[in-house]
Amino acid sequence: MKNLSRLVVTIIAIVIICELIGAKSITLGPGKLVLLPMLYAVIIGMLVTPKVLGNKIGVLKKLIGEEEIKNSGSFVMISLLFLGVKYGTLVGPNILKVIEAGPALLLQELGNLMTPVIAVPLAIMFGLKREAIGACVSICREPTLGVIGEKYGMDSPEGNGVLGTYMVGTVIGTIFFGFLGSLAINTGIHPYALAMATGVGSGSMMAASSSALAASVPAQMKDTVLAYAATSNMLTGVTGIYSVIFLAIPFTNWYYDKINKLRSKGGK
Amino acid sequence: MENKINKNDYVKMIIISAMLVLIGQWVGKGINPIEALPGIIIISIVVVLGLFLKHIIPFNFPAFAWVTLLALVFSLPSTPGSNIFMAYTNKVDFLATTTPILAFAGVSVGNKIDLLKKLSWKLVIIAMIVFTSTFFGSALVSQLVLSMQGKI
Repeated sequence: MKNLSRLVVTIIAIVIICELIGAKSITLGPGKLVLLPMLYAVIIGMLVTPKVLGNKIGVLKKLIGEEEIKNSGSFVMISLLFLGVKYGTLVGPNILKVIEAGPALLLQELGNLMTPVIAVPLAIMFGLKREAIGACVSICREPTLGVIGEKYGMDSPEGNGVLGTYMVGTVIGTIFFGFLGSLAINTGIHPYALAMATGVGSGSMMAASSSALAASVPAQMKDTVLAYAATSNMLTGVTGIYSVIFLAIPFTNWYYDKINKLRSKGGK
Repeated sequence: MENKINKNDYVKMIIISAMLVLIGQWVGKGINPIEALPGIIIISIVVVLGLFLKHIIPFNFPAFAWVTLLALVFSLPSTPGSNIFMAYTNKVDFLATTTPILAFAGVSVGNKIDLLKKLSWKLVIIAMIVFTSTFFGSALVSQLVLSMQGKI
């Protein structure tokens, strides 16, 4: 890892631009949409890469190349740790509240099984075959990618499915979860329940949705929202892979076969 | 997939990430970087500890979870010195730590955009359905349990 200067200059510029714009909230129907600097940062970050605008704009071409893109990946991992520390400092002082909410925090992990229940039938409707099993088994972060890859092989239909959801999540996941976190408050579900839902097992997605959520709730709820989010994400980090192996994969397979049988019966 | 990272690289990346947070909150929130310096140094130390634990403990627990857990323990009211730990780390703004992460994340997916274009639009829609149902699936279970407990 040498010559980080070009990457660092670019990121400093992005950070300064995004912080200068600052958080904005847009009234949208009955609720509001909160746009945080991190949202602009991910978009500008994508825009400056060679395949998007980089090759068209001379200065950018000089700043961001393959090397910089590769190093960015490592930087995401390290800079996420600073956020991880901040999340920890939100849980510690609120530990009693978190322990009291323990049952909800643990059980909501099972809510992830709703994913295949809803997504598999829709995927089949869209014409997906066994790709549906990989794509809909969970939100498909690295642990799921690993498990499915090992079980079916990455070049199998299931592997293609899981890779699809993984890729989409990598590129637009934070933006999408940022919007979800901010808009979900309008559904009438309690902010604390939504906070637990933001811990989907990816640090950056959780950060995007829980801070958007925290920005749309009353100030006195903010710390609890972030503490629940961090704890839920930590739990998903521990339990997520086991729930995929022992619950989600067997269930999704069974459910997929069931739906196909019903369909072929209905078709005749 | 990963490029080789040595100890020096880790140190460089930690210092650069710390500096980016200071710049971000200076511009965005007007927090004086000198005043926030002890806080960001303490956070950096926790980051180093987390990476170290991940390295020496052969149990598959991500560094992100380690640092959250460490900071949680350090900030427990019953931990000696937690008030000092909190007083300094509070000078580092929560949201300011998120902007550089996502800037890097945006750049890092830059060469994967072609791959996304190659994916069928169906998979893109399915993925969004997957995200939405994961989110609301968990939210509904939490809502149910929390209201049964009478917490909300």
